Amino acid sequence: MGVDFFIGLFLATLIVALFTSRLYRLIFWYSMNSLVLGILALMIGKALDDKAMLVTGIATLVIKAVGIPYMLKHFSEKFHFVRQIQPQISAHYAIILIPAILVFTFYLSEPITHMIEGNANYIAISISSLFLSLLLMMEHRHVAPKIIGFLSMENALFLLGITATGGMPMLVELGIFFDLLMAIVVMNLLFHKEEVSS
Amino acid sequence: MLILLVLPALVMFAVSFSHHRKAKFLLPISSVAILLPIVKLFWLPKPYAIWGNYLVADRLDTYVLLISSLVGIGVTLALLTLDKHVKVSPKAYRRFYRFFAIFWVGLIISILANHMGIYWIGLELATLSTVYMIKTNHTPAAHKEAWNYMIVGAIAISLVLFGIILMYASAKPILGEEAMRFDLLLSHAKEIPSPFLFEMGFAIATVGMFVKMGFFPMNLWLANIERASFYPVAALFSGILESAVIIGFFRFSKIAEQINYAHLYGFVFVYTLLTIFIVAFLIFRAKDFMRLFSLSGVEHMALIALFWVSGGTFAALLHFGAHAFLKPALFLSTGVLESRGKYRIAGALRGYKGKKGELFWVLVSLFLLAIISLPPSPMFFSELYGFAAMVEMAKQSDHMLAMIAAILFLLVLLSVIFYRFVTLYQSMKYEGKEEEKRVYGSELAALVLFALCLLVLLLPSSFAYLRSIV
Repeated sequence: MGVDFFIGLFLATLIVALFTSRLYRLIFWYSMNSLVLGILALMIGKALDDKAMLVTGIATLVIKAVGIPYMLKHFSEKFHFVRQIQPQISAHYAIILIPAILVFTFYLSEPITHMIEGNANYIAISISSLFLSLLLMMEHRHVAPKIIGFLSMENALFLLGITATGGMPMLVELGIFFDLLMAIVVMNLLFHKEEVSS
Repeated sequence: MLILLVLPALVMFAVSFSHHRKAKFLLPISSVAILLPIVKLFWLPKPYAIWGNYLVADRLDTYVLLISSLVGIGVTLALLTLDKHVKVSPKAYRRFYRFFAIFWVGLIISILANHMGIYWIGLELATLSTVYMIKTNHTPAAHKEAWNYMIVGAIAISLVLFGIILMYASAKPILGEEAMRFDLLLSHAKEIPSPFLFEMGFAIATVGMFVKMGFFPMNLWLANIERASFYPVAALFSGILESAVIIGFFRFSKIAEQINYAHLYGFVFVYTLLTIFIVAFLIFRAKDFMRLFSLSGVEHMALIALFWVSGGTFAALLHFGAHAFLKPALFLSTGVLESRGKYRIAGALRGYKGKKGELFWVLVSLFLLAIISLPPSPMFFSELYGFAAMVEMAKQSDHMLAMIAAILFLLVLLSVIFYRFVTLYQSMKYEGKEEEKRVYGSELAALVLFALCLLVLLLPSSFAYLRSIV
């Protein structure tokens, strides 16, 4: 029951992020999305008695829910990002498009969900979150929201990993975290150079 | 062995922070040092466990690693005189090497990985490190393309991870956490309880890998990035990074082959045919060397994938090796070819004086003709064997006529590319006015190295080795 609630909340935070037109709000919703994901990893890890998932759950809370949003806000102040980020897809179209994506992904993932043990809806929600993250990347012109779209996509894949497979090997999870940090370092350099050249 | 493999890259990383003027020479030396443990690895019995079951050297990955390290040496040689052709600051030069070192670590991990997850981590590390290499060119176009690469590359790599998760989920009921291992997946492929799930995962991961190599629908993506960056970056992309991607495809497809060969073949055949169809016309319209070579790279990677799934593994590996040497050689020569302007194709092979100049234009001419598979190019033999494998496959198929028609259509598309390259070569050699162009020793040394590697690839012993890989 608790897992159902948090999976729903995970999707809800992503949907709200799609309608956000302010950068700090978007960072906040990404942080909430990661927070819910971390709680989900802890809950599922505890239910499966999977210590590796508990560790990755804590890492998600520390790195994704706190560390990365803090760094993004820091970059935003340091490099003077545009904070008014109006989505290219207006709200009245998004209201139609988002449910359509949800229905489509539930239909698309239907053959897969029969083959996976556990709650089939979790897989469908993970895949729809992936598509919604792609939409988040597509509907913005500025770089910062595109980065948040990419990070949300990582969250969706992490959710798929914990729901479809009951957790990936610890080494892989930690490797993904390392790559994510590397991505942040590279982004910092890209922003820095842009500032210098302008 | 792992320490020996990674140590030169770590030294390169550390030296890149030094501001000493002689550090410029130490960086290429550390690049050459990468080759030494790989040569040692080449002689060790296979499979050789480098790090438990996670990193295992077999004949396939040692071959790919050897080729990549040779390409790395060539690129490093050409880098010595990069500042003679383009404006590059010492700081950008050092940073290039810093990320080149990280790139190598990622590459070694992904090529030697016997584990889907570790393969992905290595590939992601290599991808991220190349983003900054694009930015060493301080132009607005390079800034834009670096972001473009970061975002599209991230989507492609996420698709690969998505596919890996599904493949892992399909095999976890029988293999547990070991379901990430390539060797176990291959040996237990027929026992996977949900083959459809595996195939779905394979298809998604393959689309991610194909997008990363510039296949349909992202045909111009890589070409634009390579155009915007310095030419050694393009050489690294085509000669090394794509090797890390294609080795993943080789491994995944071998498992998918055990599950449902008809599905695998149909999917890859249609995808690569569609890619070559679009690329052939883009090549026909290409107006500069970088885009031309980049699009030609997409065509060749598509052919390698097609030969591999057709059962022509020898042809695919030969084609892969030849392409890995030829394409960086051509990319590195663009620094000289474009020294009188980006779009000056006519007369690009004229105006070379002295022994260095003469040798340069002869080598570039040979590379240009070799890339379109004129004999005795290794590509001539690989295409011969590759198409023979495809025809053999068509003969065994229930849809023989349709497949033969598709193969003929593919040959027509390849002849469009052939025609374009021959026309360009004639224009480069016989048209335009003769303007003096300067060739430097280091870039010539790189071209000579690639030419020698191609000759070695033609030896009967090399053919025998390639046949023994799969």
